[in-house]
Amino acid sequence: MGFIAESFRTALSLIFSADQDVFAAVRTSVGVAAWSVLLAAVFGIPVGLGVGVNQFPLKRVVIVVLNSLMAMPTVVLGLLVYGLVSRQGPLGGRGLLFTPNAMVIGQTLLAVPIVANYTLSAIKGADSRIVPTALTLGAGSLRSMMQLTREVRFGIMAAVIAGFGRVISEVGVAMMLGGNIRWYTRTMTTAIALETSKGEFAFGLALGIILMVVSFSINILLTFMQESHQP
Amino acid sequence: MKPPQYRLTEIRVFYRANLALEVDELTIASGHLHILAGPNGSGKSTLLGILAFLMKPGHGQVAFAGTQVDWQRKQLASLRKQVTLLHQHSFLFSGTVFANVAFGPRARGMAKEDVQRTVGEALAMVGLDGFESRNARHLSGGEARRVALARALACQPEVLLLDEPLAHVDKESAQIIETLVISLSSRGTTVVMSSHNEQLGQRTESRVIRLLDGKVERIVEDNGQAPGRAVDGYRYAKL
Repeated sequence: MGFIAESFRTALSLIFSADQDVFAAVRTSVGVAAWSVLLAAVFGIPVGLGVGVNQFPLKRVVIVVLNSLMAMPTVVLGLLVYGLVSRQGPLGGRGLLFTPNAMVIGQTLLAVPIVANYTLSAIKGADSRIVPTALTLGAGSLRSMMQLTREVRFGIMAAVIAGFGRVISEVGVAMMLGGNIRWYTRTMTTAIALETSKGEFAFGLALGIILMVVSFSINILLTFMQESHQP
Repeated sequence: MKPPQYRLTEIRVFYRANLALEVDELTIASGHLHILAGPNGSGKSTLLGILAFLMKPGHGQVAFAGTQVDWQRKQLASLRKQVTLLHQHSFLFSGTVFANVAFGPRARGMAKEDVQRTVGEALAMVGLDGFESRNARHLSGGEARRVALARALACQPEVLLLDEPLAHVDKESAQIIETLVISLSSRGTTVVMSSHNEQLGQRTESRVIRLLDGKVERIVEDNGQAPGRAVDGYRYAKL
């Protein structure tokens, strides 16, 4: 018990002394997660909307695939993207491996099915009269889709929150594609794994506390925004 | 001679294997009030869906103002700008009454200052002046129906389609809607409204198209005042 209490005190002192290693990992984590979830929203929201609104052959198969991809092990995804961006891979010439960009690619792929699925659920739960109403008022297909998106914006925001929660807390993709390079690709999760394995439990605990605070704060902020705008 | 607003030929609509609508021939003249009468499940809403270009019939031809409808996206976009349907259970978008009523004019590319004026006029027509900033989700049922009607009117459509506009509204709202519908048709807007209440047809200068089991049972011209004009729908259309 004394060990944990002592580690906790050390962790707090690392946080309040603005330890550079700690804050470099925080910056990398938040930056990579923000870009990843932004890109995942750009790709995932239209996919969710398209699958939700349109009827096409194999729609059920697409939904099953999207659902299954949500359970994709992060290490396997990291491995696949590693194959693409490593020197012998098709994108090897771009020097992406062990860069934040490679991490963004991996985490985007991780978050797209989550954002798409949550968007799809929001569309399924939306009032079926939205699109016909917009169409009969003279809106084209694009404007009708935009109105539908507007009406289910809280569900879409939940999709983004879920995607963010997934990428900021994952370790497999960040480790395999970022390489855990100090002050460059080291994230909170990879740093926790590394420092704990080195016996630096207090450092890992400090990052763990910050990870929870960052993750909870962003979720609370987004949830607050969601509720304050609800009709 | 001006072509009819709609000409429907050999229309068949199926829901799964069931025939929901079967109209051999039906003509809807422009600038008049037409009332679709009939019990639940008689095909009124389905017919309105076709007239609003929201539902492509499984079989048959629709001509609008003399032009054959090809149901292609480009033509549909243009046709839907001339026709507006007020659904039976109308949906108001989240946001203000103004945003709702302005939706159609904006979608039609109306200038900002014209939108403001049009919204004000449309709300005044339904007796809801000053409701612009009200939250659309906080209205009573009758008010919501009138906002939906104002939203349809703000589009200034050539054809106004109303699905049971008088159902589940208070007396005041029903009176306003009825007066408005009569006034619009007398000013040259083609109005097609469905109603359970056939008495409305007797009170107004209108043509009643009675549907039963998805078929046109009979058509009564000018509220039946012209003797002998109530004839079988199919044969009437052939005349």
